[in-house]
Amino acid sequence: MLHTKIVNSKDAKLLITEAENFISSSDFGASIIFTGTVRNQNNNQTVTGITYDSHDELVIKSFKEIYNDADQKLNIKDKSVFIEHAKGYLELGEIGIIIAVACKHRDEAYVLSRYIIEEIKKRSPIWKKEHYVSNESAWLKGNPILHEKN
Amino acid sequence: MKIKIELYGASRDFSNKSYLDFKVDRSSTIKDIRNKLIEYLDKRFNGNESYKKIVYSSAFCSGDDSIVSDNYKITNNEKIAIIPPIGGG
Repeated sequence: MLHTKIVNSKDAKLLITEAENFISSSDFGASIIFTGTVRNQNNNQTVTGITYDSHDELVIKSFKEIYNDADQKLNIKDKSVFIEHAKGYLELGEIGIIIAVACKHRDEAYVLSRYIIEEIKKRSPIWKKEHYVSNESAWLKGNPILHEKN
Repeated sequence: MKIKIELYGASRDFSNKSYLDFKVDRSSTIKDIRNKLIEYLDKRFNGNESYKKIVYSSAFCSGDDSIVSDNYKITNNEKIAIIPPIGGG
């Protein structure tokens, strides 16, 4: 089972309770809820907030691919996965991403949770613009998505 | 023919709008779009090197939401998105 969503901060907040409700099942003995939140420091600068940008359709597509790849690469067939990512402006401490997973056993749950966040960082078109106490702001550099040049 | 390039991430600084309109020759490819963007940045931002670096390191997304290669041929009125280096999560 998979749930994916991009949540615009103008409309709503990411809620851990929704993740808990989605993955809750007596079929699974292990569950992990990972959240990424806006922190107050990065690269020796004092951060006051982050604006997330997202190519929504590609992001949702990448979440589904990552979920399906977990079947093949990790051989974790029985699982429940909830992935939501924020877009728009978030203040310090607010949740930018929730990844909740439930599996039969704890080993699978830990591996799957880590796999999903690392793949999102490599494959999902999401960008962060940090805002600083100096009133300046900057897009973070990020990693190129591979493309052919010929 | 006309095409629309949707701007994301750092490329949003290329315009006050969320997209750029270009007129390109028929059978133009992503490689041609990359060159058009460089020309645009040379004129509009006096060849701002950090902006040009974004274009060189970006991927592009076709109208059907697929990452496409530099050989991809663009169709009339197709919406193309520029995908700068990513860093979510």
